[in-house]
Amino acid sequence: MTPMKELYEAILTGNRDAAAELTRQALEGSVDPQSLIDGAMIPAMAEVGRRFEEEEYFVPELLLSARAMKTALELISPLLSETGAPSKGCVVMGTVQGDLHDIGKNLVSAMLEGAGFDVVDLGADVSPEKFVATVEENGASLVGLSVLLTVTMPSMTSTIEALEAAGLRDRVKILVGGAPLSAEHADAIGADAYADNATAAVRAAHELVGA
Amino acid sequence: MRDLFQGLSWSSARQYFRSRYYDRGDARARGDDGVRGEGARRESALQSRERVLATLDHREPDAVPIDFGGTSVTGIHVSCVAALRNHYGLEPSPVKVHEPYQMLGLVENDLKGAMGIDVEGIPGRETLFGFRNDDWKTWRMPDGLEVLVSIDFNTTSDSNGDTLIHPRGDLSAPPSGRMPAGGYFFDTLIRQDEIDEDRLDPNDNLEEFSPISDRDLAELAEDIEAAQESGRAVITALGGMAFGDIALVPAPNLVHPKGIRDIAEWYMSLAARPDYIHAVFSRQCEIALGNLVRIRARIGDSLDVVMLCGTDFGTQTGSFCSVDTFRDLWLPYYKRINGWIHEHTAWKTFKHSCGSVERFVPSFIECGFDILNPVQCSAANMDPEQLKAKYGDDIVFWGGGVDTQKTLPFGTPEEVRRQVLERLEIFSRGGGFVFNTIHNIQARTPVENIVAMLDAVREFNGES
Repeated sequence: MTPMKELYEAILTGNRDAAAELTRQALEGSVDPQSLIDGAMIPAMAEVGRRFEEEEYFVPELLLSARAMKTALELISPLLSETGAPSKGCVVMGTVQGDLHDIGKNLVSAMLEGAGFDVVDLGADVSPEKFVATVEENGASLVGLSVLLTVTMPSMTSTIEALEAAGLRDRVKILVGGAPLSAEHADAIGADAYADNATAAVRAAHELVGA
Repeated sequence: MRDLFQGLSWSSARQYFRSRYYDRGDARARGDDGVRGEGARRESALQSRERVLATLDHREPDAVPIDFGGTSVTGIHVSCVAALRNHYGLEPSPVKVHEPYQMLGLVENDLKGAMGIDVEGIPGRETLFGFRNDDWKTWRMPDGLEVLVSIDFNTTSDSNGDTLIHPRGDLSAPPSGRMPAGGYFFDTLIRQDEIDEDRLDPNDNLEEFSPISDRDLAELAEDIEAAQESGRAVITALGGMAFGDIALVPAPNLVHPKGIRDIAEWYMSLAARPDYIHAVFSRQCEIALGNLVRIRARIGDSLDVVMLCGTDFGTQTGSFCSVDTFRDLWLPYYKRINGWIHEHTAWKTFKHSCGSVERFVPSFIECGFDILNPVQCSAANMDPEQLKAKYGDDIVFWGGGVDTQKTLPFGTPEEVRRQVLERLEIFSRGGGFVFNTIHNIQARTPVENIVAMLDAVREFNGES
């Protein structure tokens, strides 16, 4: 098995230690860091996404693969900034104000990162002002908003309104997700797309930014 | 119609209206809807407890029984309890928060009467945050509503204005729950020590499970005896029988939880550390079985329903884990607990799992669970007709009465009524149904929608 294929397998099977070790070895062997992303990480996470959507993988397996991928990416990222490697765009992610639930949002962040997006994950209970400031600071092209509670659904609307009021709405696409939402609701509150799982979110992100 | 019932207990009201119901010649009243074939028949006028027992036995009772407040997953947010008390003209004293994690309000006897409730729950004396509900003090919700909370409900605030609650009321301990500024509920704060793979010890995840104390046993017996006097079916949770409930994994009741307490880490452990999970569940099961022996010896069959476990296996669109994982990690322990209960008691066992769980239902039945809650018809593959047709003979649906993600909080009263009547029509055939919303009634749900829901149940039951 080639080192690239081994890294692919380590991420696909969620083996964090192997993913870290293989990445270190590859980087010490002067492998181009971008090629690790393009040749192993993105394909592995795409396969993870496929398996999740096909219900061969579930939350535990997705979390394990995402963690293995992030561990490898943390070793690669410092080298990428030196080479100015291409990205599919910056995504600002967060669970809206008043809502502390973040499992689904974390899965989407990891899958977007694994697909080659730059992800700024603001965590949970994020105010509209914080979303606006972070979009401005990072020149983001996409905002991902998550919600679980019915009582915090209005925060999603106020975040979209804040992005409009800040004059950012024509610069960023808005992707929303979360248990109480639907495509109709997403449309009604002025979002650009709705996704009901992490794989669908990655697909929607690609469509929204034309990547 | 409400005024007519003043001074009339609901069981009396039901008997009064039952004659009208039968006189209508309604297909339901004749019991000829045919779902359960020749075995289907309608019971004559029943008291609340008998009504519930009939439906749990898959016999169609005189009226569909109702639960609100019986458990921590069939309850009502304190703000909605206050609104209901106001609506029904009951004494407007501050409502007690018996379950501070989800801020569930105590449904007192007068409100139970007004709502026509058939189930008597026994709120735990100790809360999820590890303090007891012995004495009460007033506390103001972020929206200004004054409520009553335990004297040991001790909170601090952070720089965001969030409310932090401390385990066991111990302000010297780091907080274990957070209510965001302007929020309505707490969520657990994760306190996870660094994990050293070589030193992981399943005993660290067992600190919260122990043999029941003499005091707890005596109080349980006392509470059940008092609950029996209500004439309603008695339900309670018997602690320690929830295996891997993600709300409990962070151990918000412990001052310094050890072991695996982070939610993502726990989920990953299902795939990466199955031996560890088995060791925790296996020991937990032994402790629970020991407790069951003592509880059974003390209370006999005075309990009607025991809520065993609230571990969620479903998400909105799928499952947290595969059915294979469920059968490997959970099924052996659920089988042992249910098996012991069914062998030694007449109690019915209640399993709560949110989300899309259709694929797990055959395994739940195989485990010996009698009751499924909350029947989240708003999730994928949870069509009421199909659930009833496929599993209605083998498991009782306790919930599913109305959607709490869209219809109840955001619909019109007429939309609520229509959905409630539709669900009742489907789920009540041949018994095997206790009316409840899909999980707790959430904060900010309009009271007129809750009342429309209750009125629709009465309409269906021939009581209006």
